[in-house]
Amino acid sequence: MAEWDGSAFGGSESEIPSLLAENPFLSDDLLRQLMDVGEVDLLVGISSHKNGRTTSHALHALERSVQQHFTRQRAVIINACAEDQETGDDGAGQLRIVAQENSRSAKLAALRTIHQVNVDSSAPLSAGNALHTILAAADLLRARACAVLSPETAELAPDWIAKLLAPAYRDKFDFVAPLYARHKFQGLLARNLVYPMSRAVFGCGIRELYSDEWGFSGRLATVCLNQDVWNEEYIRVRPEAWMAISAIGSDFRCCQSFLGQKIQSTTSPGTNIVEVFRQAVGNLFWCIESRQSSWLESDRSEMAQTSGPDHELISEPTDLNRHRIFELFQSGVTELEPMLSSILDPETHAQIKSTLALEESKFRFGPELWVRTLYDFAASYHHAVINRDHLVQALAPLYRGMTFSFLIEHANSSAAEMEAGSDRLCGEFVRQKPYFMEKWKAMIEVKS
Amino acid sequence: MMGQPKEDRFAVAASGAPRYEDNSKRNGDSSLALQEDKLWFKDAVIYQLHVRTFCDSNADGIGDFAGLTQRLDYLQDLGITAIWLLPFYPSPLRDDGYDIADYVSVHPSYGTFEDFKTFLAAAHSRGIRLIVEMVLNHTSDQHPWFKEARSSRDNPKRDWYVWSDTDTRYKGVRIIFVDTETSNWTWDSISKSYYWHRFFNHQPDLNFDNPAVIEALWQVMQFWLNLGVDGFRFDAVPYLVEREGTTCENLPETHAIIQDIRKRLDLAYPGRILLAEANNWPADILAYFKDGKEFDAAFHFPLMPRMFMSVKLQDRKPIIDILEQMPEIPVGCQWCIFLRNHDELTLEMVTDIERDYMYDEYGVDKKMRLNQGIRRRLAPMMDNDRKQIELLNGLLMSMQGTPIVYYGDEIGMGDNLYLGDRNGVRTPMQWNGDRNGGFSTADPERLYSPVISNAVYGYQAINVDAQQRSGHSLLLWTKSLIKLRNIFHVFGRGTIQLLKPANHRILAYVRQWDQEIVLVVNNLSSSAQAVELDLRRFESYVPIEMFGRNLFPRIRDLPYLLTLGPYQFYWFQLRRL
Repeated sequence: MAEWDGSAFGGSESEIPSLLAENPFLSDDLLRQLMDVGEVDLLVGISSHKNGRTTSHALHALERSVQQHFTRQRAVIINACAEDQETGDDGAGQLRIVAQENSRSAKLAALRTIHQVNVDSSAPLSAGNALHTILAAADLLRARACAVLSPETAELAPDWIAKLLAPAYRDKFDFVAPLYARHKFQGLLARNLVYPMSRAVFGCGIRELYSDEWGFSGRLATVCLNQDVWNEEYIRVRPEAWMAISAIGSDFRCCQSFLGQKIQSTTSPGTNIVEVFRQAVGNLFWCIESRQSSWLESDRSEMAQTSGPDHELISEPTDLNRHRIFELFQSGVTELEPMLSSILDPETHAQIKSTLALEESKFRFGPELWVRTLYDFAASYHHAVINRDHLVQALAPLYRGMTFSFLIEHANSSAAEMEAGSDRLCGEFVRQKPYFMEKWKAMIEVKS
Repeated sequence: MMGQPKEDRFAVAASGAPRYEDNSKRNGDSSLALQEDKLWFKDAVIYQLHVRTFCDSNADGIGDFAGLTQRLDYLQDLGITAIWLLPFYPSPLRDDGYDIADYVSVHPSYGTFEDFKTFLAAAHSRGIRLIVEMVLNHTSDQHPWFKEARSSRDNPKRDWYVWSDTDTRYKGVRIIFVDTETSNWTWDSISKSYYWHRFFNHQPDLNFDNPAVIEALWQVMQFWLNLGVDGFRFDAVPYLVEREGTTCENLPETHAIIQDIRKRLDLAYPGRILLAEANNWPADILAYFKDGKEFDAAFHFPLMPRMFMSVKLQDRKPIIDILEQMPEIPVGCQWCIFLRNHDELTLEMVTDIERDYMYDEYGVDKKMRLNQGIRRRLAPMMDNDRKQIELLNGLLMSMQGTPIVYYGDEIGMGDNLYLGDRNGVRTPMQWNGDRNGGFSTADPERLYSPVISNAVYGYQAINVDAQQRSGHSLLLWTKSLIKLRNIFHVFGRGTIQLLKPANHRILAYVRQWDQEIVLVVNNLSSSAQAVELDLRRFESYVPIEMFGRNLFPRIRDLPYLLTLGPYQFYWFQLRRL
């Protein structure tokens, strides 16, 4: 297919042909709104979930960010919202009213029109559907840099948005992951599982693969848009990690941008740890499975370039029920013993069973065992002998065990000590990768 | 045009003659006809020029009134109906004539007093009115008044200017010519004191707290009014009065002086107008209309840079924002719309962000910047893009107000950045491809300014003669645009209703006056655009495209779809048929 380059006629360069015409999922109303916007430099997508107020705050922050940091750029905000079925509250309607109240002064000061496109949908839009729409809009409008935001993030600062857009717009990065200042015991799933595992497997370390806000280039948007994944369960629920992994796997330029302290909105949906675990880990395993061609032959392991601090850990005292975590580990491992025996390598399983005998005060689930456990699970996921969803859920008690051990080990650790531990864990993943590759390929031979 | 059958309107205007010429034919006296219509300025198309730049009749290298008189046929043919003349009074010419040394005479370089009178009569006979400059705020330091005032502290004229023993009075007042002046005070070594000047140091400010000054200036105005001039442009009007602890701009005392002058004018010379040069934010300019008791018209400084901004941004927002901020002006008053003039394109009344943007887009070379402005002509600013130039002229002729055309812009003249100050946009008019562009038969070295002679804008390529012979030239296009505007009262007198279609690259508005309704749609973008307009208010009307007089589909209940090419604009007359 010949590459179309509209630059000779004043349009922006497009290196990747778009197959958007094959996917008629955009409504006529949305198309009309996009038509009126035209080509843009910046596109920011936001999905509102039953809360016009937090979304209006996000919109206000967005407009201020554009006004302050991108005064000359053409910008559009894609607002994907859904009507609350229970209350009948029309999020888009509320949104417009509140947004108008807050943004009039920002708009007056802006050099250009800051467009807002509302994706009205009577049916709830999943995260994946929302992203699909946002990517389509980015492709149609030939946006150069894009970002996705969640209104669930309270205290969304205008410069956060700039930090996500600027690397893509000015420095030509294709994927911009956020970095946050977190409490040292916050985000442990990312710290102890998702980040080190993905770094070892895919070769590029991004700390926050599952985030509520991230940035990307128009080029990456077009590539992701053209993937035939939009009906996959994991994409519908948590598409951001897949997008990051797609970027890594396709040799797009990735970076991380430090934003600040992450504060979750008090109105955000309650966190069900099991569900979060299931989505995040299931998504990761699915990505490993679906993109095996990109990592099987790769042996690199590096950290994505970072803008700002690489990390920031806050060490305020926290109230965690460690005993409960330990109990859940013990009961989970005991109950799932038959399943675990079919998932884990016998040596791994034996080591885990031996930890059951340890007293709480002497319990340890070290990095070596944890990494080996994860690789066994990932390989078994690939094998798909048991239901993959059940397999992922079966990892949860083992994760609790590792977490309990981690909390004990780092109860009084400084930020530097914790980072040293994290580096050791990453190193362990890399060290055991040949083991994983062997397991994986053995599974391939079994399957074939 | 009232009472005439509508179908004759286009035919009557085919000659390019302004409407009131019909009145003169009925009355047999053009001068009387010019005076009858007190709101003539609302229908006018004003042409701004400096007599020095236009045409040299005596081969001394300087344009003069005799030469200008020779070129009145050209101006009449162009369709303009009023001339605004830059200062032609005796002056040391250190500020291109705005430093006046004698208010009631003609600079000898431009001809004699009789030449001026001949020119005025000739202009009036062609239905062209004349607006002259009235520089109230200051004189040249070579003016006899100042020479007397500085001669001693006891001189009767001492108090005609603003003096101080120190340079600390009126602290904090901004300097206007920031590129050349470091203070608003200058030490006078003769009278050993400081004098106040808001502009160049050789332009001392007159003291308007002295009634004698006001009387003297009124006598100056009477002098020219008695000769028959149709109005005055008051230069630098916000700065007349100073008061401690203020910005010394737009003070109530200044307004009181203007109102006094206006009262006298209306009493003795009805129909003559006052045009304000007040480069201020909208609310401050409104004060200069004062319910019709001060100025008849004021330059639309807030709008002007934003037209350029919108075209470059390809976004109507700057224009819409400023128009929505504009207060209503009294019914008998008028905005004067302009694109470029003899000064730098001022960026004083824009935000810092907007100024930076304008510099980066239109004044990228530092030589182009002067005094918080851009000293370029229209065509070079638009990179000689014919479509953009036409679009801007379309806006000029269709927005609410009286348009002012800067001499030479009708043929797309260029500028000379290597001339100092603002002289780069004041080069000789280019009439033909002959020596000196047909401006003068003098030796080129003798010209007051070199003629533009580069490959793009040089007189060999850009001149009136060539464009009169080319059916698709900018000159003939501008002429047809002016002719079309002159047919309708709505452009000068009508209301404006902004439409805001979803496509932000389209600037659309409806002009309405009595039964005349015109829909104007402008594509500010460099690419083709589609737009849906909500015209339900005009359901069942038929749009008639005014340039080709072609019918467009009747307006219905549904959004009215139009497509426009890059930088294209439409004028539609809406008629209920």
